[in-house]
Amino acid sequence: MGVAFRLVTELVAGVFVGAAIGWVLDSWLGTRPWFLLVFFFIGAAAGILNVYRAARQIAASTERDAGGDQQG
Amino acid sequence: MATENAEHGGGGFAIDPMHQFEIKTLFPMQFGNIDASFTNSSLFMVLAAAAVIGLMLTGINRRAMVPGRLQSIVELSYEFIANMLRDNVGTAGLRFFPFVFTLFTFILACNLLGMIPYSFTVTSHIIVTFALAFFIFIGVTILGFAVHGVGFMKFFVPHGVPVYLLPLVVPIEVVSYLTRPISLSVRLFANMMAGHTVLKVFAGFVIALGSFGIAPGIVPLVFMVGLTGLEVLVAALQAYVFAILTCIYLNDALHMH
Amino acid sequence: MPQLAFETFVPQLVWLTIVFGFLYLVLARVALPRVATVLEERRDRIADDLDQAEQFKRQTDEAIAAYERALAEARAHAHEIAQATRDRLNEETERQRKSIEARLAEKIGIAEKQIAATKEKALGNVRDVAIEVANAVVTELLGNADRAAAERAVDNELK
Repeated sequence: MGVAFRLVTELVAGVFVGAAIGWVLDSWLGTRPWFLLVFFFIGAAAGILNVYRAARQIAASTERDAGGDQQG
Repeated sequence: MATENAEHGGGGFAIDPMHQFEIKTLFPMQFGNIDASFTNSSLFMVLAAAAVIGLMLTGINRRAMVPGRLQSIVELSYEFIANMLRDNVGTAGLRFFPFVFTLFTFILACNLLGMIPYSFTVTSHIIVTFALAFFIFIGVTILGFAVHGVGFMKFFVPHGVPVYLLPLVVPIEVVSYLTRPISLSVRLFANMMAGHTVLKVFAGFVIALGSFGIAPGIVPLVFMVGLTGLEVLVAALQAYVFAILTCIYLNDALHMH
Repeated sequence: MPQLAFETFVPQLVWLTIVFGFLYLVLARVALPRVATVLEERRDRIADDLDQAEQFKRQTDEAIAAYERALAEARAHAHEIAQATRDRLNEETERQRKSIEARLAEKIGIAEKQIAATKEKALGNVRDVAIEVANAVVTELLGNADRAAAERAVDNELK
């Protein structure tokens, strides 16, 4: 549960931050909805990247101390 | 938390599991036009800090060559964080030892204090965990630029990526970097909140089923005891994760990889 | 959700800053240096103890080496003494043996001389008797005898 939860957090955080940046840029430049759209996808990509990195880190630390940091 | 059901007892499922997270002002206060009311949250922050300071100072008070139990706890936690920094950041990271130690012990104390019935969990509020995470994020970013200058920007340019992909990859890396404070704070907050909510819901079951007799109430109670044990584990683990991720971010800022 | 009650954010942030800052100062300035001192003292003490143990061990090794040297010396000495004694005894025995042998040789010499003298005397007697007998036989047979010729003949036979 811990690992899955952590990975979901990473993904959602990526999308959220991307969308937020897009929204801010849009309201600043008045280009709605283009930046929101672009940064939504960039955020999703960043989220996936984070999930990948988190998974790799979990795997590494699990390997290192055989079942330590899994709840992260 | 759990035994709060006595307060609202009899209501069964009607217990609001969110009630435990409510902020109640104990002493209204005002600094200029800033609202600085002393709330139950403030109280438990003070209690957590007092617990940490009390433990540290009484533990090390005797300065025994052969440590007693309390002194062992103090020394082990010291070595634990020092080793965490050494392993994840290297000796350059030992500059930040007091900060990481404060962070770890404060979060741990807040999490564990929250396990006591009727208490309040400071770290179950996103604003607190986000403030901590955001402070770390800003500090680490400033540190990165202070150590590497503009060269810290290269952190967002992964090795071996073709130039024509950079307009795509760099924004992704930047966004990925910006998600750090979000995921760091959400993880701690959500773990603490979820655990306490689940405990509360089970407490509701105990009351609701308990009203049909003792036996039906026992089952969720046993679950609750188990869950409480698990929650203590999660409380420690989340403090550990927060500290170790801080170490990893420090390492990124200092060594850029 | 009470976590999204925005009016509670500011007081929480204010108190988080105050409490966390205070905790940081106390830990960084007071508590952690004390722990560091205790740990360092212990480390030094352990290092000292190890040094001392090392020194003791060295001393023990030296003592053992000295003891072994002394033992070896003593053994060598004992061996020497034994050898000397053996040599002395051998010499003594040899000397006694020699003196006994010398004495025996002397006695044998004397005895041999006596034997030789006795034998000579006996032989001398034999010659005289033989000459007398030869003279007597020749006189009896031939009437007269040349005593000198008889002596020569006897000497010839006795050779």
